[in-house]
Amino acid sequence: MTRSRGFGSYLRHQREQRRGKDAAFSVRQVAARVGIEPSYLSKIERGEQPPPSEETIAAIARELDEDTDVLLALAGKVSSDLQAIIRKRPALFAQLIRELRHLPDHAVLRVVREVRDGEW
Amino acid sequence: MVELRNDRLIFSFPDVHPSASLVIEFQRTLRIPDDNRAYPLPPGLGCFPLRHVDDSTERVPAPWLTRGGVMLPMYQAEAMWIRFEPALDSERGVEYPFAIAIAAGKINAVTGQQWTNQIHADPQDYVVAPRQPWIDGFCVTKGTIRQFVAMPLGRGYTAEEQITEEAEYGGVQIQVYPMTAERFAARFPVRTRRPVLHDTLSMPMMLPTMARLPGKAAAMGLGAGGQMKQEVYDDPFDFEDWHRNHPARCFVHLANSEMWRDFTGEDAPHKPPTAADYTRAGLPWFDYYGESPSLEGSAILRGLKTILQMGAKKERPLAENEGVAGEKVLVIRRPRNSAEVRDGTF
Repeated sequence: MTRSRGFGSYLRHQREQRRGKDAAFSVRQVAARVGIEPSYLSKIERGEQPPPSEETIAAIARELDEDTDVLLALAGKVSSDLQAIIRKRPALFAQLIRELRHLPDHAVLRVVREVRDGEW
Repeated sequence: MVELRNDRLIFSFPDVHPSASLVIEFQRTLRIPDDNRAYPLPPGLGCFPLRHVDDSTERVPAPWLTRGGVMLPMYQAEAMWIRFEPALDSERGVEYPFAIAIAAGKINAVTGQQWTNQIHADPQDYVVAPRQPWIDGFCVTKGTIRQFVAMPLGRGYTAEEQITEEAEYGGVQIQVYPMTAERFAARFPVRTRRPVLHDTLSMPMMLPTMARLPGKAAAMGLGAGGQMKQEVYDDPFDFEDWHRNHPARCFVHLANSEMWRDFTGEDAPHKPPTAADYTRAGLPWFDYYGESPSLEGSAILRGLKTILQMGAKKERPLAENEGVAGEKVLVIRRPRNSAEVRDGTF
């Protein structure tokens, strides 16, 4: 419950900050663009409803220009593409993630920066 | 996966073996004279700076973004050698073996064949590290290479243009295959004995303070420059030892100094000295004895015209091609590790 309330209050804070500058970020209008009922969004923000589906969270993240992975983490979820990556090579990624857990951010960034390969 | 750290590419395969990691660096060097003499090895003048093309998405040409990879700045007055440094497996005291395919403008530097996303055993179209410590050019005959030199793309000089009549790719292509973990374990059993000290073999890095010379260059590919004494060694392992469905590859784009400044906001390094100036300054050249069987060289690559031969028909392509005499040559011997037995003279 704490975790989902964290998600809701974070969401409300971000949305209201934007609403201060732009009326398009009212509960009603954001809910309409995301494709959910305004009362449902309002309950999520107050922590009266658990966080919505991954798809809805991704849509909210796009609306509020937030990082989808960060919103999912606040909601206690891991995106399904990451889950698929881990499931493909579970031992390797479990080891990798455990090794990374205590590293400072700059070291983690260095670890994940791969040289991108393209079409030759 | 391929990472870029401190101007070096790191090819690692953590899901194959914890020690399966190879560092590849691109060393700047002087351009050896193109005068039909086979020269000893020129020095390493430090690594070329390497940057992700993705860090300059707004500026680099669209095909570079399509191909991905990294880029480096190269003057027409300089040349490149590529150094391979496999990680040491500390349990066994040996370096993890890799098969490495190298191409320039998608022309294989060992066979002259056009690039495929595979390696081949016959003829062998790759080098094997740690046996091959470096490669300086196109493998033309047994014991001789023709130096990797930078030439503008689109004027017919590069190996790619001479062989395919197209100036499409330029750059350098690298594809790396680790040995399979099973074969590594079978070939190099863990022995209960004291570990062998790792003798790091590296050419001395020396960079005399050079005056900045005015320079202008065009977009770059690699051509075949002067001749150099260098063996491209046989694969000492079985072709089946390589993890052939598990390569990692990287496209290395070549920028001239002006493009580099535009793409990265950084200045390219100073121009290297000429071979003649370097030798007159009393600085050393190198000779390497690996004492292993080597490849015959490629008839296709042997047929490449030198920059000088092409220049006779065209404009004068090189400002500087003074021959060198009386150079000081230092001999480097291959450091032996516990896995390889040296054969001598009986």
